[in-house]
Amino acid sequence: MKLNTKDLLSAGLFIGLAVVGLWLNQDHNLGTARRMGPGYMPMLVFWLQIILGGMVLFFGLFNGPDPLAKWTPAEIGFLIGGAVAGVAAGMIAARIPGFPSSGWNSLGIGIFVGCLVAAVPPGWRALFLPSAAFTLFGLVLEPLGFLVAIIVTVICASFADKEHLERPLGVLGLIAFLCTLCWAIFIRYLDIRVPLWPQL
Amino acid sequence: MDLIANLAHGFGVALTFNNLLFCLIGCIIGTAIGVLPGIGPVATISLLLPITFGQPATTAIIMLAGIYYGAQYGGSTTAILLNLPGEVSSVVTTLEGYKMARKGRAGAALTVAAVASFFAGCVSTVLVAASGPLLTSVALSFGPADYFSLMLLGLIISAVLAQGSVVKSIGMVVFGVALGLVGTDVQTGQQRFTFGIPELSDGIGFVSIAMGMFGIAEIILNLERPEARSVMSGKVGSLMMTREEVSRAIPSVLRGTTVGSLLGILPGGGAALASFGSYMMERKVSRGRAEFGTGAIEGVAGPEAANNAASQTSFIPLLTLGIPANAVMALMVGALIIQGIQPGPRMVEAQPDLFWGLIASMWLGNLMLLVINLPMIGLWVKLLAVPYRHMYPSILIFCAIGVYSLQNNVFDVYQTVFFGLFGYLCSKLRLEPAPMLIGFVLGPMMEEHLRRAMLLSRGDPMVFVQRPISATMLAIGAIALIAMLLPNIRKGKDKALQE
Repeated sequence: MKLNTKDLLSAGLFIGLAVVGLWLNQDHNLGTARRMGPGYMPMLVFWLQIILGGMVLFFGLFNGPDPLAKWTPAEIGFLIGGAVAGVAAGMIAARIPGFPSSGWNSLGIGIFVGCLVAAVPPGWRALFLPSAAFTLFGLVLEPLGFLVAIIVTVICASFADKEHLERPLGVLGLIAFLCTLCWAIFIRYLDIRVPLWPQL
Repeated sequence: MDLIANLAHGFGVALTFNNLLFCLIGCIIGTAIGVLPGIGPVATISLLLPITFGQPATTAIIMLAGIYYGAQYGGSTTAILLNLPGEVSSVVTTLEGYKMARKGRAGAALTVAAVASFFAGCVSTVLVAASGPLLTSVALSFGPADYFSLMLLGLIISAVLAQGSVVKSIGMVVFGVALGLVGTDVQTGQQRFTFGIPELSDGIGFVSIAMGMFGIAEIILNLERPEARSVMSGKVGSLMMTREEVSRAIPSVLRGTTVGSLLGILPGGGAALASFGSYMMERKVSRGRAEFGTGAIEGVAGPEAANNAASQTSFIPLLTLGIPANAVMALMVGALIIQGIQPGPRMVEAQPDLFWGLIASMWLGNLMLLVINLPMIGLWVKLLAVPYRHMYPSILIFCAIGVYSLQNNVFDVYQTVFFGLFGYLCSKLRLEPAPMLIGFVLGPMMEEHLRRAMLLSRGDPMVFVQRPISATMLAIGAIALIAMLLPNIRKGKDKALQE
C-alpha cells in the first residue's frame, strides 16, 4: 500500500465538513427542482463534496507515499493543549462580567490564549505567534486605541522571528515607522472611525 | 467609429488628476511587490481592498489593476538580476534571464523584458477594448441556464489548470461554493449556516477569506522557510540591445503576446500560465532554441510579453461576463460588488466610465511602468535590502486595520485569523486556495442562475443540454475533465507548472 497521508486527510476534511453541512441543512426546506428551497443548492453542493472526497480518498490509497512533516511530542502536546486552553479561556471569559464577556471579546481571548499556548514549542512559533498577534490587535484596538494596538501587535509578532530578539532596536524602529505610516494613511487620509488613544 | 469615440471618452476619464495619480500609485506598488518575493498581487490587492472603498469605483479598479500588471513588470527584475522570481509568473524568466545576466547581458535582458511587456500591454489593451463590446452583445443573449453552464465551465477550468491534483482542486472549488452558501438566502430570507451569528447573515466576509488564505497563511509559510536572498553580484551593464538581439527578440515578442492574450482570456488562466506556455513554445519553435539553457533572449522576450498580455486580457471575462478568470479577478469582483456594481454584461453600458476608463488607464499604466522600471532599476533592487522580518509585521498590521475598518467590527479580525490557520492547513495538505476563492465568488451567482433556469424549464434539468450555448460550455468542461484523466496530458501539465 502506498498511502498518501495528505490526500487521506484532505478527503477526511472534505467529507467531514460536508457531512456536518448536510446535517445542518436538515433545518432548511428543500423545495422541488422547479421551485428550489433554501436547502436545495446546499444539498447538491455537499453531496458533490462527499463524492469528490470519496474520490480523493480512493486515489489517496495508491498515489502515495506523501507523509506529513514529523511532529515532535512537544508539538503535538502543545497543539492539543492550546486547543483545550483556548476553549477553556473563551468559556471562562464569557462568564466574567465587563470587558472579557462583552461583544466578541471572549472569542478573541479564547483564540489568543490558545495560540499562545500552542506557540510554546519553537516549531509552532511561525504559525501561532502571528495569529496570536493578529488576534491581539482585535482585542486591544477598541479599548486601548489604534497606537497601542499597533505596538502590542508588532511586539507579539516579532517573537516569531529569532533575529528580532537579537536586534530589539529594529523592532522599536519598525513600531515608530508603522505608527507614523498607519496614522497618516488610516487616520489622516482615510479617516476610519477608530479611537486613537486608550479609552479610559 | 464607436471604438475611437469610446476610447477618447476613456482617456478623458483616465487622464483626470485623481485617476492618473492612483494609476501611478498602483503601478508603483505593483512593481514593488513584484520585486519583493514573499508577497504577491493577490495578497496585496486583498490588503488594499478596504482602502479603496472611500474612492469612486473607477479609481479603485484602476489602482488595483495597476498593481496586477505592475507586478508582472517588477517580477522580471529580480528574476533576471538575482535568479529570484518575485512572482510565480516570472519563474520562467529566471531560466534564461539570469543566465543572460551571468553572461554580462543583464541590461539587455531587462530592456527586452520591459519593452516586450510594454508592447504586449499595448496590444492586449486594444484587444480588451475591441472584444469587450462584442462579447457583451453576445452575453446579453445568454439565459440563466447558459450563465450557469458558463460559470460551471469557469470553475472546472480553474480547477483543471491549478497546480497539483485536479480532484482536490475541484474539491476546493466545491468547498468554496459551500462557503458562499453561508448567509441569508436571497429568495426566502432564511438564514443558512449562520449559527445565529448576526455578522454572518450577510455571508462570510470576502475580504476575510482572501486576507486570511493569501495574506496571513502566506506570512506563516514564509516564516517557516529560512530566508534565502542573494545579493546582486556584478553590474547591470548597458541597457542597449545589440542589433542581433533585437531581431531575435521581435518574433518571440509577437508569439508571446498571442499566446499570452489567448491564455489570459481562458477561465483559470492568467499571467503565470501564460508565461509557462510561452516559454514552452519558444523552446520548441524559436530561432535560438539551441541556446536555451545558456541565456537565450527569446526565453525572456516571449514569457515576459505573455505574462503582461495575459494579466490584461484576463479582465475580458470579468468585464464582459462578470466571471473572474483567476484569484486576482475574483478580488476585483469583490471590489466591484462592495462598490455596489454587479459585474456582468450590462457593465459596459451602465458603467462606461469604468470600462473605458480602465482600458485607457491600462495603456497609460504600461507607459508609466516602462518609465518607472527601466531608468530606476537600481532603486527597485535596493528594495530587496528590506528583510522579511521587517515586512511581515507591517503586512499583519495593514491586514488587521484593513479588515477591521470594513465594518468596524472585531469579529472580522477573528474570522480572518481563522481563515489564516485554515489556509495554512490547506497548504500543508496541498489544497489550492485559489480555486476555493473563485468558487466562493461564483457560488451565490450560480445558485441564482440555477434556480431561475430550473424555474423557467419547469424543473426539467435537460434545459442545460438543450440550449446550444449551455450545451457547448458543458461539452468543453467535460472534455477538459476527461483530458486531465489521460496520463500523458496530465504529466505535461505537471511538467509545465513545476519547471
